[in-house]
Amino acid sequence: MSGRGRLALCAWAATLLAAAAMTPLVDAWTWLLQAAFLSAVVSGAGAAARRVPLARPLIVAGQAVLILLLLTLLFAREDALLGVVPGPDAGTRFGELLAAGAQDVGRYAIPAPATDGIMLMLIGGVLLIGLAVDALAVTYRSAAPAGLPLLALFSVAAGLSGGGAGWWWFPLAASGYLALLLAESRDRLSQWGRVFGGAPQRGGAGLDIEGGTARAPMRTGRRIGAAALGVALVVHWSLPSLGGGLIGQGGGGAGTGPGGGTINAVNPVVTLKDSLNQPESREWLKYKTNAKTTGDMYLRIMALDRFDGGAWKFSVREITDIPGELPRPEGLGDGVATTEVRTNISAAAAYRQGWLPMPYPASEVAVDGRWRFDPARRTIVGDRGQTTGGLQYSVTSLRVRPTAQQLAEAPKAPAALLEEYTRVPDTLPGDVRSTALRVTRGAANDYERAVALQDWFAADGGFSYDTEVDSGGGIQAISRFLKNKEGFCIHFSFSMAAMARTLGIPARVAVGFTPGSPAADGAMSVTNRDAHAWPELYFEGVGWTRFEPTPTRGSAPDYARAAIPSAGPSSPAEPEAAAPEEVPAAPSRSSDCSPQERRLGECGATAPQDVAAAGGEGPTLGSVLMWAGGIAAPAAVLLLPMLWRRRLRGLRLGSGGRTAEDAAARTLLVWQEVTDTAWDHGIVPDDSLSPRRAAARIVRLGGLEGAPADSVRRVARAVEQVLYAPRPAPGTGLAEDAERVRAGLGERAGRVGRLRALTLPRSGMRVVWACSERWGAVGDRVTAARRGLRDRAVAQLRRPLRHRG
Amino acid sequence: MERAEEGRVTTYDDRASLTDLTTTAERVRRSVEGVIEGKPEVVRLSLTVLLAEGHLLIEDVPGVGKTMLAKALARSIDCSVRRIQFTPDLLPSDITGVSIYDQQRHDFEFKPGAIFAQIVIGDEINRASPKTQSALLESMEERQVTIDGRTYELPTPFMVVATQNPVEMEGTYPLPEAQRDRFMARVSMGYPTPEAELQMLDVHGAVSPLDDLKPAAHAHDVVKLIDAVRTVHVADSVRRYAVDLVSATRDHPDVRLGASPRATLHILRAAKASAALSGRDYALPDDVQSLALPVLAHRLLPTAQAQLNRRTAEQVVQEILQRTPVPASGSDRAYGAGGRQAPGGPVFGGQRPGVRRI
Repeated sequence: MSGRGRLALCAWAATLLAAAAMTPLVDAWTWLLQAAFLSAVVSGAGAAARRVPLARPLIVAGQAVLILLLLTLLFAREDALLGVVPGPDAGTRFGELLAAGAQDVGRYAIPAPATDGIMLMLIGGVLLIGLAVDALAVTYRSAAPAGLPLLALFSVAAGLSGGGAGWWWFPLAASGYLALLLAESRDRLSQWGRVFGGAPQRGGAGLDIEGGTARAPMRTGRRIGAAALGVALVVHWSLPSLGGGLIGQGGGGAGTGPGGGTINAVNPVVTLKDSLNQPESREWLKYKTNAKTTGDMYLRIMALDRFDGGAWKFSVREITDIPGELPRPEGLGDGVATTEVRTNISAAAAYRQGWLPMPYPASEVAVDGRWRFDPARRTIVGDRGQTTGGLQYSVTSLRVRPTAQQLAEAPKAPAALLEEYTRVPDTLPGDVRSTALRVTRGAANDYERAVALQDWFAADGGFSYDTEVDSGGGIQAISRFLKNKEGFCIHFSFSMAAMARTLGIPARVAVGFTPGSPAADGAMSVTNRDAHAWPELYFEGVGWTRFEPTPTRGSAPDYARAAIPSAGPSSPAEPEAAAPEEVPAAPSRSSDCSPQERRLGECGATAPQDVAAAGGEGPTLGSVLMWAGGIAAPAAVLLLPMLWRRRLRGLRLGSGGRTAEDAAARTLLVWQEVTDTAWDHGIVPDDSLSPRRAAARIVRLGGLEGAPADSVRRVARAVEQVLYAPRPAPGTGLAEDAERVRAGLGERAGRVGRLRALTLPRSGMRVVWACSERWGAVGDRVTAARRGLRDRAVAQLRRPLRHRG
Repeated sequence: MERAEEGRVTTYDDRASLTDLTTTAERVRRSVEGVIEGKPEVVRLSLTVLLAEGHLLIEDVPGVGKTMLAKALARSIDCSVRRIQFTPDLLPSDITGVSIYDQQRHDFEFKPGAIFAQIVIGDEINRASPKTQSALLESMEERQVTIDGRTYELPTPFMVVATQNPVEMEGTYPLPEAQRDRFMARVSMGYPTPEAELQMLDVHGAVSPLDDLKPAAHAHDVVKLIDAVRTVHVADSVRRYAVDLVSATRDHPDVRLGASPRATLHILRAAKASAALSGRDYALPDDVQSLALPVLAHRLLPTAQAQLNRRTAEQVVQEILQRTPVPASGSDRAYGAGGRQAPGGPVFGGQRPGVRRI
């Protein structure tokens, strides 16, 4: 294969490998095949044009036109001349498709359905990137800059998937780019002419005959590439990551029901924040109900039941067809007072999303369309693009009114449920749990704890409501919110649910709407501003129970008020007494201080105290340890040579034993120590000197006089005795001599020299030498083993030939 | 002989004779230094060669006292001394002797040549033709003379002290390699310091100092000293070191002909003598190092390329000394087991002995 051909092939492969990272973004992957085929057509056209040859800009322009024709053929056949040539109609069609695609991208969570718009964006994007890579790497023959479009492609994919995509896409994409680089280098190298290999390993000529290409450089190139890739993957783990935030985490996942079909999720969190921050208020839902009060008519869309430490997501669950009557709510016992409520809901045509807003817990749903039921979370989801746009439906639901006593006396939840819904990742910062424990101190049971948490968030904790807050990202998001005390319903509900889980109370987060406001015709009107999220906590006998930690939003349910015995006069036995319609909710604890006032700091000492308490929490033990470790680790690395040297000195000077051999060995060790000490002070040992001369050299270069000089000579003489005399008479007090030499050398070296000798002993080179020697030995062994294997294999191969010959 | 000594333990008597040795040697040394001023290292080296049963080659320009040194050494010891003045017309029979027909006894009678003495001074040895010099080969190595099929033993101690001018001087032949190899050491006198020269003027001005020289030791004493030297202990590592040094000369790229195994023997013997002279009963690598230059340098033949580059054999030996590590890590056993090659030793690629590189 010619160099250019190989290069073109590699460019094509690199584009596709980078594009493969986009497959998790869309639920189907067949688009990749189309993109591969079309991209191959474009590359092939380029290769043919280069062979003609044409001017380079002409080639690129021709490829661009070809892309346009192909896309027209694929997406706008009806509107084009002859099905291929794009006219004005086709242009309009493309515009529509692109607009729809952009809208879809904004609307759907990952993986998105493969709508025409998204397909156009994907395939068109891949083709354009492929063109750019092909033009840069092959037409203009510089492969390195071709990494930029590839990087763009990959980062779009990685950015959209929010880190949810697997890490393996990265080595895949990177190896494509590396292959491209390698192909180019190989091409360039082969232009140098015939390459001589190094010294032949085993007989044979120095000429590298096999293939006539430079194999050793190729191998080196591959090794460099692999090493770079490995480093990129490894370093990534050791660096602090910029994870996704509390906000902006896609609620990934799709449920595949037994009936088949895939459900694409609109990202609830993003939708929620967007709708809260829209400048004008738009009516999305309207409902009429026969309930006496509408304060509890929270319309629930979905429940997020998986907590990854930073954000709540929903897990993949089984879904079924909607039964005639929905099963009894999970955990709801007989003793709890319930009222059946019937609600007719109509959604605005503009309100299109895949979940059915319903009061909780619904017992019967009458709705047209392809809707399916998710029993675990008790939600209803649209199948195959079914949305709520313009939908009219009616829901029969229960209004559960547990008493505080029932909640307080709730037995332990079933083990399976408890295990699943109290799961928190190990990476969750410790202060979440410690804060939860502090807030709920004194509470006697789970119910009181839940209420304490709710009250802390809603009133006592000094939190304020602000929809503009973006909590930033990652595992620290909840800690940061607990510290900054600013956020909106997402923050409040996420944090309370997380804290409840740390306390062992099963919890999840529900997303939906607050009851809305009464309209003129007696119906209730729900607007985008009513979008909301709240925690649901599980109590055995009652089931999933709503709490309301967000200040100034929604209303706390009756059973969750005034629960702490010392708190207030209102009796939990009178659930109807309080007016649930109050919006904003009155603070549940009987206090004369509203959340707003608290926020403004008008409540005297309580709020500051709380703040101080929260601030006093400060860095937790874990983070202190981490910091200390972070500082200590480099310090330890720096001190390592010194510690090693100290240890070695101790070993050499402290060796014991009374026999003659021991004494001899000790003498030699002391001599080694003196030599190394001199080396540490800059006197490089010279192997070609006898002990006597080496000692003289140390004395001369080290500028030693008096006792230290005598010590050096004494040690040298002892070594001579040990090494060369027939009956060695080792000297005594050599260890002291060594110490004296060290002191003498240090005195002459000055402060800097002494410090250098202490912290960066030059004799540490011995370790390096020993290591390299060992490594060399290992290498030799491996080479020998390989050669042996090869010889044996060659012998095996030759034997039959010899017989035949 | 060397092997047999290895395991020998120095006895009390030997040690006593070692002390004798130092005192006797000191007497001889002082006696010689009374004549040769300001050259203690040369005097010491000639004593070392004497005690090591070797022959000494004194090479230098004319007039620096080569012959004076040889004569002083000979006179300090009470033994038979012969002098041969090497001239271009000297014949081999003048050195070894000749058989003369005795008419009375009707038989050939052997008339011993000048070589039959305990100390033979060969003056200006390189002025005789190589033919003549080859007469010395047998006597110098084997201490015997064979004439007409009869072998005559030479007396002990036997030492040839030869002087020569550098080859560049007029009327000289280069010594054959075989003969150079038979000299244990070559020493160069060098010019005296101004003070020594001044003192020499005073001494030599009046009478010849050689005339006053009384023997400081008898030939028996020298034989005993030589026996004592043989008992000096040489550790395996030091032997190995000597072998390393010598074999390095054979592999050195600048050398056409390296040192022979005889050189190894000579350097070790000389090291022993040097140790004994220092009053030690064991040899040190220092002894080997200090003797490597005089013992090895005159045996090496630098390549033509090295000669063009003005590289002398002395420089080569110095370089080898700087490159060869001294065994200093108690590896007696490792060396004794003949284990591994000394690490870091000069590796110039193997060469067959005797193969000449031009």
